[in-house]
Amino acid sequence: MTRKILILALGALLAVFAGLGFYNIRHLREPVVLGPGVAEVKTLSEYFPALKGSVNDCNIYVLGNAKPGGTILILGGSHPEEPSARLAAWVMAENGMVDQGRVFIAPSANRSGTKVTRPGGAYPASYTIPTPWGGQTFRMGDRWASPLDQWPDPEVFIHYPSRQNLAYMDVRNFNRAWPGRPDGTLTEKTCYAFIEMIKKEKIDIVIDLHEAELQYPVISTIVAHQKGADLAALASMVISGEEFNIGVENSPKALRGLSHREIGDATDAVSLLLETPEPFLDATRGRTDAQLLLTGQDEFVVRAGKRGLLFEKIDKKGWPIDVRVGRQTSTILTLLDLWSQDHPERAILLKDVPKYAEVIAKGTGAFLKDPKAADPARIRYE
Amino acid sequence: MIITILYYLLVAATAGLIIWNIFKTKKWQEEALYVIVLIPFLLRLLRLK
Amino acid sequence: MSMTASASIILAAMVAGYAVAKILKLSTELSMLAAALVGALAGGAGFPARHIVEGAFTYLDICLIFITATLFMNLLMESGGVAFVVRRILVRFHRHKAVLFVMLAVLLLIPGALTGAGSVTVLIVGGMVATILGYMGLPKAKAAAIVFVIAGLSAAAPPVSLWAMLTAAGVNMPYVGFFLPLLIPCVLLALLTIFILGWKAKPADLDMALRELPEAPAGMNWFKIAAPFAVFFALVVAGRAWPFDVPILGLPIIFAAAAVVTIALSPRRLDVLEIARRTVHQLLPLIGTLTCAGILVQIMTLTGVRGLIAITVVTLPLLIVILSLFVTLPLSEAVLMWGAAPVLGVPLVLLFNTLNMNPVIALAGMSIIWPLGDAIPPTAIIGRLTVETVGLKESYGRFLRACLVPAVLIVVVGTLMVFFSKKLAFLTVF
Repeated sequence: MTRKILILALGALLAVFAGLGFYNIRHLREPVVLGPGVAEVKTLSEYFPALKGSVNDCNIYVLGNAKPGGTILILGGSHPEEPSARLAAWVMAENGMVDQGRVFIAPSANRSGTKVTRPGGAYPASYTIPTPWGGQTFRMGDRWASPLDQWPDPEVFIHYPSRQNLAYMDVRNFNRAWPGRPDGTLTEKTCYAFIEMIKKEKIDIVIDLHEAELQYPVISTIVAHQKGADLAALASMVISGEEFNIGVENSPKALRGLSHREIGDATDAVSLLLETPEPFLDATRGRTDAQLLLTGQDEFVVRAGKRGLLFEKIDKKGWPIDVRVGRQTSTILTLLDLWSQDHPERAILLKDVPKYAEVIAKGTGAFLKDPKAADPARIRYE
Repeated sequence: MIITILYYLLVAATAGLIIWNIFKTKKWQEEALYVIVLIPFLLRLLRLK
Repeated sequence: MSMTASASIILAAMVAGYAVAKILKLSTELSMLAAALVGALAGGAGFPARHIVEGAFTYLDICLIFITATLFMNLLMESGGVAFVVRRILVRFHRHKAVLFVMLAVLLLIPGALTGAGSVTVLIVGGMVATILGYMGLPKAKAAAIVFVIAGLSAAAPPVSLWAMLTAAGVNMPYVGFFLPLLIPCVLLALLTIFILGWKAKPADLDMALRELPEAPAGMNWFKIAAPFAVFFALVVAGRAWPFDVPILGLPIIFAAAAVVTIALSPRRLDVLEIARRTVHQLLPLIGTLTCAGILVQIMTLTGVRGLIAITVVTLPLLIVILSLFVTLPLSEAVLMWGAAPVLGVPLVLLFNTLNMNPVIALAGMSIIWPLGDAIPPTAIIGRLTVETVGLKESYGRFLRACLVPAVLIVVVGTLMVFFSKKLAFLTVF
């Protein structure tokens, strides 16, 4: 009996330590210091009240109310394990100013997915971006929503409404559940709420920010719905000429549930998806930690590249987070420039957001604001 | 929602059976393995993971 | 130090940890845990409580499928349903060896196909099938080989094939399209196995066999056996046919529903609580393996060891990789059991994917080879279980020799499936 109690006590100790870790990360507060451009902070449930009180009732930062124009929605954190997406959204919400039109930013579009890490993935629980005032810590997150918020998974996930069969865990994948439905799973309801929002706010462009493993063929590119094919192609040419190489791909019509396909089909908006390289996601990656996440340097991934197994170049310098965040902000700014030239009456003039070279030169942290120095009324938590 | 509750009940029942077996078995290796297996069931029940 | 050097040292430490644990007579599950803890220490992560427990969560849902499916099967056995089916089949077909063989092969395939565990096949029907085979004049070693080999194939057979599920999940690939690529080879190879090994069998001695088989309770009938299966398949089909109207049930609740029907229709009073407790105890080696494999994989990923294995596998020449599957797959199974799927299966499928092969067919081919490792020490869990269930008195080596011919066939078919995966892609329809 003593032995049993001892073994049980050891187990309890392990469970308590791990349980506390899980609890603390799920409840870690990530501050957003509202930039001067933020006119309003909405919540997703304003567009679909059934989400009120749920974990996915995320904040939406609305920039600009000076001059009427077009409207854009930026989705960060569709897959929270792709950090440049959330960080780029943060940088824009804390720094952006809008002279014409409106910019909607959702840094945690799939909030449930920010609160969990993948079993077997050995992800760090969080990561810290160095800033001039110390550093800001973010939840690592996963590709899928937490089973604590949506459980069980089906035997096979059948996408609504196309009936395409997908892996069972993709039932919790925010970027496989578009366009969603009001009486579906939490993930489907979240997508549905965004679709309602896009319709109600007459959003012209939706940009969904992502990162990809280098072994994945869709990488360093803009995936565009046919409505946005010209815009994306032009942006790709301009950016590749002036800043860095970025491709363009058409959203496949047969691949259902993804934002670039379904938002474009279900609403009047042009839907685009951006991918930057994230070696941390590669299956051949070596030691898995926050350093790999932020530097993107990995010897094994480089070896895979030398064997021609990758779809993007990688060398010793890796893919640092600042490069990836800079790619996101620069691509968005270029897309908006080109859109505004073409649609003067629906122009969206966003400024004070750093471009690629500036993010690399100063670091992402230079564009994150110190919550301790901010007016508490101008702080929101993700 | 009802289905999710059924799953928590299923997890609770399994956890109960595991604990019952911990007290029933006489082999220390089985006890240790049961305890390891039990942890995810308990933490899910407590909605921690 | 380069990442290759450090990961190699950590891997060596983990192998040593596993070996020492085995020498100290620890079970395979606890040895895997020991390897993980040594790996974490060697990797400088100390005692990473969060990672250990997070890894333990990896296969929680699969453990629930296991537990509910095996509970369903055990209830069916305790209610006398399995004995009823075996006796009826024997009475009806004892003169027709070929038909009887087909029936017995199907009987052996069902429990493992539904639960994903070959051990469930051995425990539920293995003993009874071996009894019949014995009265057909087959030596025990051959009867045991038939039960073991088909039990392995049943585990690989759809709908639940854990090797395929775990590997697919590891590469973000849908577990879709596997039904025929798994079903066809499993059924064909099961039939070949029983006909080849049972070649010299005579028609069964009915009276003797019936005397030894467990009695079926009065009141048991075909309806009472078919009803829980009908509920199971109805719920699975309903979820697929009307996915937007039927709530998401998940396999555990579907198996639980079938179990409830079995209890309701059983002519015997069933001590459900005791059966459930025994089910969990019977499954401890399996859910323990899944839990410890999850922990091991998490630590291997944390320390870069998984990356080392992955990069080594994907940079080997393809032909060598494919031609050595017959050794690497069973050996990895013998050491890691299902842990072999995420550790070795994932990089292999990534490699096949990159080379434009069909990953579903290739993975299905690998999935039928893997279970052969369950007869090989150090684990040999299912091999030993079969030998015990069948009551084989001769040496374990004799049993292994009896398995040889079907094992070679399985390896050849599996390897050919990997090799010609692209040509067989038409099988991946659902």
